[in-house]
Amino acid sequence: MAAAATCGTGAGSTGSMVAAGGKNNVTSFQRRGPRASGSDSSYSRLVSIAGTRPSVRNGQLLVSTGLPALDQLLGGGLAVGTVLLIEEDKYNIYSSLLFKYFLAEGIINGHTLLVASAKEDPADILQELPAPLLDDNVKKDFDEDACNHKTAESNIKMKIAWRYQLLPKMEAGPVSSSRFGHYYDASKKMPQELIEASKWHGFFSPEKSSSTLNIEPCSLTHGYIKLLQFIQNIIYEEGFDGSNPQKKQKNILRIGIQNLGSPLWGDDICCTENGNSHSLTKFLYVLRGLLRTSLSACMITMPTHLIQNKAIISRVTNLSDTVVGLESFIGSERETNPLYKDYHGLIHIRQIPRLNNLIYDVSDVKDLAFKLKKKLFTIEGHSREQCILVALTPAQ
Amino acid sequence: MGAGRGKPRALPTRPQYRASAEGGSGADPGGEAGPAWSGVGGAGDVSRPRVSGRRTGACGLLPLPPTTAPNGSSGPSRDSVEWEGRSLLKALIKKAALGGEQVHILGCEVSEEEFRAGFDSSINSRLVYYDLFRDPLNWAQTGEALPGGPLGALQAMCKRTDPGPVTVALDSLSWLLLRLPCAALCQALCAMSRQHACRGGGPAAEQLCVLGLLHRELHGPGPTGALSSLAQTEVTLGGTAGQASAHILCRRPRQRPPLETLWFSVLPDLSLDLQGGPPLESQPHPDPHTPQVEPASHLTFNLHLSKREREAKDSLTLPFQFSSEKQQALLRPGPGPATSRIFYEPDAFDDLDPEDPDGDLDV
Repeated sequence: MAAAATCGTGAGSTGSMVAAGGKNNVTSFQRRGPRASGSDSSYSRLVSIAGTRPSVRNGQLLVSTGLPALDQLLGGGLAVGTVLLIEEDKYNIYSSLLFKYFLAEGIINGHTLLVASAKEDPADILQELPAPLLDDNVKKDFDEDACNHKTAESNIKMKIAWRYQLLPKMEAGPVSSSRFGHYYDASKKMPQELIEASKWHGFFSPEKSSSTLNIEPCSLTHGYIKLLQFIQNIIYEEGFDGSNPQKKQKNILRIGIQNLGSPLWGDDICCTENGNSHSLTKFLYVLRGLLRTSLSACMITMPTHLIQNKAIISRVTNLSDTVVGLESFIGSERETNPLYKDYHGLIHIRQIPRLNNLIYDVSDVKDLAFKLKKKLFTIEGHSREQCILVALTPAQ
Repeated sequence: MGAGRGKPRALPTRPQYRASAEGGSGADPGGEAGPAWSGVGGAGDVSRPRVSGRRTGACGLLPLPPTTAPNGSSGPSRDSVEWEGRSLLKALIKKAALGGEQVHILGCEVSEEEFRAGFDSSINSRLVYYDLFRDPLNWAQTGEALPGGPLGALQAMCKRTDPGPVTVALDSLSWLLLRLPCAALCQALCAMSRQHACRGGGPAAEQLCVLGLLHRELHGPGPTGALSSLAQTEVTLGGTAGQASAHILCRRPRQRPPLETLWFSVLPDLSLDLQGGPPLESQPHPDPHTPQVEPASHLTFNLHLSKREREAKDSLTLPFQFSSEKQQALLRPGPGPATSRIFYEPDAFDDLDPEDPDGDLDV
């Protein structure tokens, strides 16, 4: 295609020669390489799956986490084949919201979902997903948000930088037609038809693991074994690891595991210090192996504030790829601190993976705080001196 | 045996509390099928795990008015007097029984006679009591004990409940925690709610409220943290100067959990008496150790301006400060590059002579 384009403008004769030669297949402008059967767009060998895009840094395939601000912090998105571990906040409000955003993003993009939980039925989790913000409503909401925010400031005429009054206000809102990373309205639920049109598999731990076996130490608890087998079956049967070659359209499997490590999975890591400390780490190790060999991305929320043995937390961090910790201000003394009065909590990016890369893709702003406005979840950098307030523009 | 009385955390009814807060707007905070299991506490605290089915719409179980008690004390002002939670538990049971619900009690720590003392006969006839105190390991082989040990007892209790609003009181979660692995207990509690929900048959039918008493001093932070993460309402008993207080933390799925403190006392006939606020003579002083945090106080540079500095700043002439007409003219997009205008604003040092404009040139 490129060759034809460059010579096409030169002289029409060569183009016609190509066209004429194409019938006889004796022209030197032969395209080498495998041809897809009957497909004329054979030049595109990139895997183009809905809802993914290559990273601008190293070409790694990325999916959106459902929160464009978080995507930007993680260097563009969540890499396919990796694990994103969310350390839950104390009352599990914001981490469950991030979990739902992740699943909602999968539904919007048409990915297959695998939802595993020990506390709630996955069907109920899917009913509670937030509704996506449609394009025409989005600008309206953002404008009114921006107006509310800037009414105080716009009345002050600028003395020094008065030429900037002409410039349009910086668009901190979503790009109107963003195919990667959508915005969600946490106050509304996702329409039922979207949920029914999506393909999802649920794993509810109390149903699947009914027997309470006595297991020897240093092995996986029963719930974890069942979950790993379930994930492996889905990956194999649906061909996410390339095992079913007749599949024509590749898709991503989004795995969401909620409250991993809580006692409801049968793991006593949160209850005692000297429990079965290897079960969770083994699970993460095997899970990562499954993910690396398939087109899937996984988000796990874990109540690390309950884990008694701190060494396990560091092991878990090492075994995951990306680790994000949430700390909410509810009930803590920071709630009354005037520094934090606009925010609902802090986000700590504990680990970013180095995938096929020598350097980390870390953002410059280290102190990050989040707030949940009535519809949107925004992440901003904040600093103690209060002089620097960097607003991360969600649009990329 | 009254062992481990201590800092209790207990609290009243979540349902009524919720009803007033939501006003039946259809929000379903309690509407998850999972275990809404609330409460934990110290010795003698009543924790009240509540498991409600879908969309129960909070019809109050216990008609306690939700009051927002002033929570003025920021410093720890706990007494050394231990606050017993069993009386509060019995008061809640009484209210549940009066409300017409089935009440099932698993008694482990005190004998049945002692537990039933204080209830009048009508209520006593309505309580279904499972006794694990007298013979927990079933050595007497009388055949009326529940099989399977404590875990089996929990599961059997769940099976024997009829569909409808049910209150299950566990006399002591501490007793169960000391004999069962914590993970198994958590799973059993969740299973209770789910099984009840399955058998309920309708959304309004399944309303399972599980109350549990936990002695906080007996357990480390692990089990208490795990149980409180399952709980939907968590109540801590405390108090000052002979007046018991209950610090309530009510978790809701998508909202920030409100924290409240109520002052109460349990009367001899096991009815609850709520007071509005702490008794006057024990009003704690505002804690002097938590001053308002001033963010700009520990900086290496000065962010504040004195009055003189501010005046000087305001009166400063900026280099590109034009008159407002000129600013507007510059801001307004002009009529194109064909007409170009020269703007000249005389400076303070300029000496304009209108008759001889080139007078200052040295030509």
